[in-house]
Amino acid sequence: MKYLSGWILLWLALPVQAALEYDLQAEQVARNTWFVEGKTEDFSQENGGNIVNTAFIVTAEGVIVLDTGVSKRYGEALRQLIESTTDQPMRLIINTHQHPDHFLGNQAFADVPIAALEQTREQIRRNGDAFAENMYRLVGDWMRGTDVVVPSQTLTPGIIDIGGHRLEWLALSGHSGADLVLFDHTTGVLFPFDMVFYQRALTTPHTPGLMQWHQELEQLRAIPFTLMLPGHGPRVEDGRALDQMQAYLEWLDRVLTDAAEQGLSMTETMALPIPATFDSIALRRAEFERTVFHLYPDYEQAVFEP
Amino acid sequence: MNQQRWRLCASLCGAGLLALLIFPKAQAAQPPDPLNSVMWDYTRNIFIGDADYRFSQAIKVDVPAFAEDPTQVPITIDARAFQGRIQRMVVWADLNPIQHIFNYYPSAGASPKVSLRIKVQQSTAVRAAVLTHAGEWHVGYANLDAAGGGCTTPSMGNADPYWQSHLGEVKARRFATDTGEGARYKFRVIHPMDTGLVDAIPEFYLQQVHLKSPEGETVVRMELSPPVAENPVITFDLTDDRKGYSLWLRDNGGNEFEQAL
Ligand SMILES: [Zn+2]
Repeated sequence: MKYLSGWILLWLALPVQAALEYDLQAEQVARNTWFVEGKTEDFSQENGGNIVNTAFIVTAEGVIVLDTGVSKRYGEALRQLIESTTDQPMRLIINTHQHPDHFLGNQAFADVPIAALEQTREQIRRNGDAFAENMYRLVGDWMRGTDVVVPSQTLTPGIIDIGGHRLEWLALSGHSGADLVLFDHTTGVLFPFDMVFYQRALTTPHTPGLMQWHQELEQLRAIPFTLMLPGHGPRVEDGRALDQMQAYLEWLDRVLTDAAEQGLSMTETMALPIPATFDSIALRRAEFERTVFHLYPDYEQAVFEP
Repeated sequence: MNQQRWRLCASLCGAGLLALLIFPKAQAAQPPDPLNSVMWDYTRNIFIGDADYRFSQAIKVDVPAFAEDPTQVPITIDARAFQGRIQRMVVWADLNPIQHIFNYYPSAGASPKVSLRIKVQQSTAVRAAVLTHAGEWHVGYANLDAAGGGCTTPSMGNADPYWQSHLGEVKARRFATDTGEGARYKFRVIHPMDTGLVDAIPEFYLQQVHLKSPEGETVVRMELSPPVAENPVITFDLTDDRKGYSLWLRDNGGNEFEQAL
């Protein structure tokens, strides 16, 4: 009896676990085009990893879903949101690149073809479990039940017509080694996905090079878009996000080059000031530190060569 | 607790002087850990024994906000406030399976600031304890936030036998210092720095690093432990700005490497 009452007391003393709900909102931003904007934050137990933008296009031949979010729970919430928005069936799911916040919601769409670039499929096959494990550590219980679902189909770059939309798929590499970009010629919407971060510092764990990324953004400038939906951060109707990206990438490359030339150590480099021009970019200090981790050893190495 | 006993005694005896005699000064000179690490008493006992010490913000221990890569975490120890007074500096991480990271012995001509990268197993306090010639211990400290795994991850070199044909290969460069005086040396040496904590891979690491003046005198001496990251990159500062320095290294396998800088 004594033990029993002890247990009841313990149970009563436990805080009530708030229901983990993403509360996703779909905003119609162009004809047939819906944007689901995440927070410009870092992964946390509070936001459940809802720091990513997803989107969907409701074509006459079904819905095309652009990324599935960070967890099974996110994927389910996204699917529910889409099904409350349209009666069109699911037609095609896209994973835009290998990062976990873009494909770990795949389970909720396992009955639909899921397509990605060949290299992205390979990267998810190889790194997916490690990414998922890391996400469990970062956002905790939001991830419950999440397993890696490798995209079932290979997406070939080029133009395809689906349900009244002329969709052009481009394969770039600056952000993660294999980065899909979509331009919808029918609506004028450009989806650069994680090739563009806006008002949220870009991340560099798998970039093949800052200046390569910079050059590839030049290709996006040539596209006659009327609306851009970045992978992270708010939508924008002109070239401002590209300007910010290129200015920031250029600064990063220069500051790391100069630091290496001066013989700075990694911690000294991490402490360098970030120009006020970038004050509007969320998480710039934390992401700059991470970038120094990822890239500075190569910059250091380059100046050792005699 | 000690404070209470102190007051009790002082009033009972009516003389503070007597209290001082009863309670050895060691009590007052062994302050509690500002970082509240559960391992402080244990690790300090290993590295500085029973000696008196004080915590010091003058010894700067710079670490990143988060150990993005726990196998290559940069740290900088800046003990220039103790320039010319340092007998030895000991650096360790409280919660690493191998706590000791390195010892550093500066001679005349050295500017006691050193940067390198380390492995960490989890979030931990990092300590830099300076023993002065006068026999005082001053302890700098910082908290390092990490998700861990650095000590029990096989070195990259183990998957890639590059190091076997390049073991001990040094790349180095001399730079101006941030103060504009003296010189800075940064070097990278190919070495797996295996901890012995990963299945079937024996401990194999650089133990000795000597930075030698043109006359062959050792100006900075370091003793490394396996938590120093693979392919160590180490930065030294000197007050001496002459050229002609050289580097001498030895690992626990008895391999010696020498390189003009
Ligand atoms: Zn990404």
